Amino acid sequence: MIEFKNLSFHYGGEHGTGEGVDHIDLRIDDGEFVVLCGRSGCGKTTLTRLINGLAPQFFEGPLEGSVTVNGRNVSTKPLSSISTLVGSVFQNPKSQFFNIDTTSELVFGCENQGLERAEIAQRLEQTVNDMQLQNLLDRNIFELAGGEKQQIACGSVYASRPEVFVLDEPSSNLDKKAIWRLRKILERIKQSGKTVVISEHRLYYLMDLADRFIYMEDGYVRRDIPAAKMRALSDDELKSMGLRCTDLSRLEKSRENPDAQPGGRPAIEGLDISCNRGNTKILDVERLTLPENSVVALIGDNGCGKSTLAETLCGVIPGSGSVAFGGEYLTDKQRARRSFMVMQDVNRQLFSESVIEELTLNAAADRDRAMELLEELDLSGQAERHPASLSGGQKQRVAIASALCAGKEIIFCDEPTSGLDRGGMENFGRLLRSMRDRLRCTVIITHDPELVLECCTHVMHIENGRVMAFYPLDREGTERVLYYFLSPSDESSTKKRENLSAVGKILKYTGSYRKYTFAAIALMLLGAASSVIPYLSVYRLIDQLVQRQPLSGIAAAIAVVLLGELGYAVFYSLGLKYSHKAAYGTLENIRCSLQEKMELQALGDIQELGSGAVKKLFIDDVESIEALLAHMLPEGIANLVVPLIVLLVLAFADWQLALVTIITIMFGAAASTQMYSVGMDRMGSYFAASKRLNNSIIEYVNGMEVVRVFNRQGEVGQNFADTVKSYRDFALAWYRVCWPWMAAYGSIFANIAFYTIPFGAMLILLGQLSLSRYILCLCLCFAIGPQLMHLMSFLGLLPQVNFKIQALEKALDRTALRTGCEAFTGAGHDVEFRDVHFAYKGTEVLKGVSFTAKEGQLTALVGASGSGKSTLAKLLAHFYDVSGGSISIGGQDIRHMSPDALDGEVSYVSQELFLFNKSILENIRVGRKGATDEEVREAARKACCDEFILELEDGYDTSAGKAGNMLSGGQKQRIAFARAILKDAPIIVLDEATAFVDPENEARMNDAIKEIIKNKTVIVIAHKLRSVAGADQLVLLEGGKAAACGTHQELLAASAGYRKLWEASESSGSWSLKGKEAEK
Amino acid sequence: MDLTLYGDDSKGLIKLDPRTKMLMVLSSGVLSFFSYNDVPLFVFCTVLCTLLALCGKPLTALKGYLAFAVALYLRFCISSRASAAPFLEIISQVLITVLLYCLPVVLSFILLTGTTRISQFISAFQAMHLPMKVIIPVAVFFRFIPTVQEEWTGIRKAMAFRGISVGLGSIFRHPMRTVEYVLVPMLFSSISVMEELASAALARGMDMDVKRSSYQSVRLGPADYIAGGIILAVTIYVMSSGW
Repeated sequence: MIEFKNLSFHYGGEHGTGEGVDHIDLRIDDGEFVVLCGRSGCGKTTLTRLINGLAPQFFEGPLEGSVTVNGRNVSTKPLSSISTLVGSVFQNPKSQFFNIDTTSELVFGCENQGLERAEIAQRLEQTVNDMQLQNLLDRNIFELAGGEKQQIACGSVYASRPEVFVLDEPSSNLDKKAIWRLRKILERIKQSGKTVVISEHRLYYLMDLADRFIYMEDGYVRRDIPAAKMRALSDDELKSMGLRCTDLSRLEKSRENPDAQPGGRPAIEGLDISCNRGNTKILDVERLTLPENSVVALIGDNGCGKSTLAETLCGVIPGSGSVAFGGEYLTDKQRARRSFMVMQDVNRQLFSESVIEELTLNAAADRDRAMELLEELDLSGQAERHPASLSGGQKQRVAIASALCAGKEIIFCDEPTSGLDRGGMENFGRLLRSMRDRLRCTVIITHDPELVLECCTHVMHIENGRVMAFYPLDREGTERVLYYFLSPSDESSTKKRENLSAVGKILKYTGSYRKYTFAAIALMLLGAASSVIPYLSVYRLIDQLVQRQPLSGIAAAIAVVLLGELGYAVFYSLGLKYSHKAAYGTLENIRCSLQEKMELQALGDIQELGSGAVKKLFIDDVESIEALLAHMLPEGIANLVVPLIVLLVLAFADWQLALVTIITIMFGAAASTQMYSVGMDRMGSYFAASKRLNNSIIEYVNGMEVVRVFNRQGEVGQNFADTVKSYRDFALAWYRVCWPWMAAYGSIFANIAFYTIPFGAMLILLGQLSLSRYILCLCLCFAIGPQLMHLMSFLGLLPQVNFKIQALEKALDRTALRTGCEAFTGAGHDVEFRDVHFAYKGTEVLKGVSFTAKEGQLTALVGASGSGKSTLAKLLAHFYDVSGGSISIGGQDIRHMSPDALDGEVSYVSQELFLFNKSILENIRVGRKGATDEEVREAARKACCDEFILELEDGYDTSAGKAGNMLSGGQKQRIAFARAILKDAPIIVLDEATAFVDPENEARMNDAIKEIIKNKTVIVIAHKLRSVAGADQLVLLEGGKAAACGTHQELLAASAGYRKLWEASESSGSWSLKGKEAEK
Repeated sequence: MDLTLYGDDSKGLIKLDPRTKMLMVLSSGVLSFFSYNDVPLFVFCTVLCTLLALCGKPLTALKGYLAFAVALYLRFCISSRASAAPFLEIISQVLITVLLYCLPVVLSFILLTGTTRISQFISAFQAMHLPMKVIIPVAVFFRFIPTVQEEWTGIRKAMAFRGISVGLGSIFRHPMRTVEYVLVPMLFSSISVMEELASAALARGMDMDVKRSSYQSVRLGPADYIAGGIILAVTIYVMSSGW
């Protein structure tokens, strides 16, 4: 039990502001969950500090009255003894860690209590299990996202098992997923019977956890509100109390936003933007356009690349691709000059001693203009104050004012409202709205739905480094963005960062072929070494000549030269053999790993990639690495090591000459590194241009027919020419920056001896070098020149390989399909769609569809084309994952089922049939592995395939490849039915299965269908309403929702939409079926 | 070389006690001051690199040892030649010798920081019966280095927007102003981190009277005694022969 008795406390001491709390009388019982709320500066944080003893023991000040926890006076007890009683989690995830690794941090509290190791281990295990922290063990805290840090903080406190948990605005830096996760953790703590006191601005996630809310104002407890009453408070009441909304779903949905227009001139355009961290590609944006005068909310989970995208757009971190501001393509530096980012930690960007100096720092504007701006931003009183003495909100405004003063066109804000109360948030929103006309564009990275609705005109949703969706915030957009923030999901753990170097990455893929790589390297080393030997032998001869001794051992010398050359040839070719073995092995591994990745992906995503792109990925892109792999690793290493050894020998011969040589080589190396650094900057743009060229060639060829028919050669040709031209420009630009350096190092390496000759001569004249050693040095210099040249060309390839592998990895890293490993355990086979949402390529197709398809009934999905009927069917077959809601069979979520289990329950018959290049018999057997020939034939008979199959050349044994062309659409369809009959799954989905029906087949077809759907759960999609009018249930899809459900008669009576659809279908039906009617 | 402070010895074949590693840093310093002879240096470096490799950093060990061998070889090459330009000879000799004597210090420091966690440090210090007043500042120092790195990248970005450069040019032209631009934001954000960190540590019982325990075992094992013995022997030999 926590008890405040007439407690007053004010911050005093050196830095005390005199703020504090007055006359607090408060009692919090054991096991209660209490939320402290109120405006910023109302004293809620102070109250938490009073409970954990930090005030007055760490934050000093005069205190009257008393505060006791479980009867102990926490203001006088030493802090260390309170820590076993009260556990604290603080606002800033950045600064509450003492350790650098997570595991040590989790046990930190236990260690401080001096617990036994076994006890600590046991508590650690329990904490990890209770809070699901398995993914976060043994990680570097500095690479975790804010939400994960907060989880660790909670876990660490949980492990030390205090009676009372005190949390001070734990959610202020968290994204939506992390908040849900935090909520779960709090729920867990509450369940274990502990007392929780939490001070918070964001209230919505605490509404069903809290028992009561303590509302504070100016240091006084004003109201004590029970949870039920709190929920009932209207938005206006909350607003007058300065509190944030308590229920996100109540945020105004109907607001028309006149500024949210889809079009407009572009303020920021980006093409093929990518960015790497370490050796992983974390950003891959093909195209992006933000309209002029817009306020764009950049939303997405922590670690998805929002900040990276923003920083790449403003040019402060190196990325590739081209970015234009207002139609003008700019370099990184130019963009940094014309844009500004208000950082989350605004302390970092205030450099001057007073606010007014801050504004005029490096800005063209004069003092008067600066004062005007301060006036506008409500800061005029603060002009002479030191920026550090301002409040957080004021600092933000100073940063914005400095940006406006410097004439910046585009402002980015990184989570500007984290930790702001309602008033602060609304003020910030107003400020952004008022600045809208003055700025080309404002981009806000935010996790705050209230701010998004307050001031944004557009929303950009980032996921996994890609732009998932971009939409204006009109009525529909508002609903969509709210759905994003409302949908519960708590899976959040950032990937472990890979810190592999480029070579390490390639070696990872060599796998079991690594031994060949090493063998190749060894052989290449031997080869390179033996190429040096002839020079030594020649030196011996020359040495004899110089010493005027009779020549001896000419034959041996020639033999050594020959042997050396021979050795070089043999070792080199052997090395090549192994390196190719290794290279092709590596390609195999890369392809296999790509395939493994692809298996995990949603089928829909792969289809979206297109077979052409997949083919290019698997064949062309992977192949292009081969040449690099086969030669680069072994030869590169050999060519690096041998010159090094030669240099050491040279040092032995004469260290001064060696020094000269090394200095020369260093000049060359400096030139080449310079080339790579400028070359790498443009590498991405160059590859992007070449990708565009590829695409436009393909488009050109594919579209040839249309182009000719509509006589559009000029236009398309122009398009094509533009792409080719831009490719040429990029390539030339790349070479233009590279070639001076290339020339520089080329000339240095090719002529190393050129620099050694005069120095050597000088040393001889000085008497410090003998002629023979001079000649040895020259020989050695001649020997390493070519190898250095080789080395340079390979070094240049390394970043290329790395770039390509990164691109390959990124291409298939979309979110994997979520499958479980459970067998089917559902009760019955009712299929329930519950609030299913689904977005396809950025547009939301399904916006909350709910209905149940009953077992043993026929459910038909009807609606205009594009209403999402087929999508729903595909979702059930689990080609895609739903983006919200759930689909369950007999109460079991399909995402929990293993792919095999789901496959056994659902059979999906689509309008297209894929025939494998096998016999027809085998093709039908695909339906159920292990079916006997007789079963297959039986199924074929039931599907009415028997007759036409027997008419084929070899009957059932006809190869489908041969027969494929002869089969009509209807016949293929029936083969598909035969498969389904053979499979005999309890749920059947017929997706426009009767599309190809011609009148004569229809009767048979219907027989086949009847055979399939006996006693099954059947979902049918059909365009011809008449064919499904007899269904047990019709579901009308309209505007992404299930608009109406019922039988044909019920719908005709109740739904205007259905009547319209029915009439349209009937009139078209009469148009096509006239002949038939006449026959009757 | 990139100093990673995320100490990790989980990949190592042996785990050394932080005390042994600290002894190593100390004696490497002694060695650099008093050794005029290559043999103890050679023995020391060999032991050090072997330990580094065994503790899970084989690549660093290999690189360090190669650098050491090459430096020794070059010194031999230079001294074995009778005549050379005297100025050049002195310069090269000095450079190589400095490198030779710095290597043990650098390598032992990498061994210490690269394979030891902060919690291990604390327990090792406690085992040495140091008062908490000494231990906490040291631990905080290690904890603070990555924070400063983070702050620094943030400030660099902020500077890019404000058109402030921290290149060599601006340091020469306005040394004071450049330092101010770096230090002011760095200090202000460090101060707030520092205060929050201190309060967080206190609230979690960092200064408790009870003797702190340790989850990760820190104990002197046979490997520590062997390594420590060799190191001590070399150090004592150097010190006694050096005087």
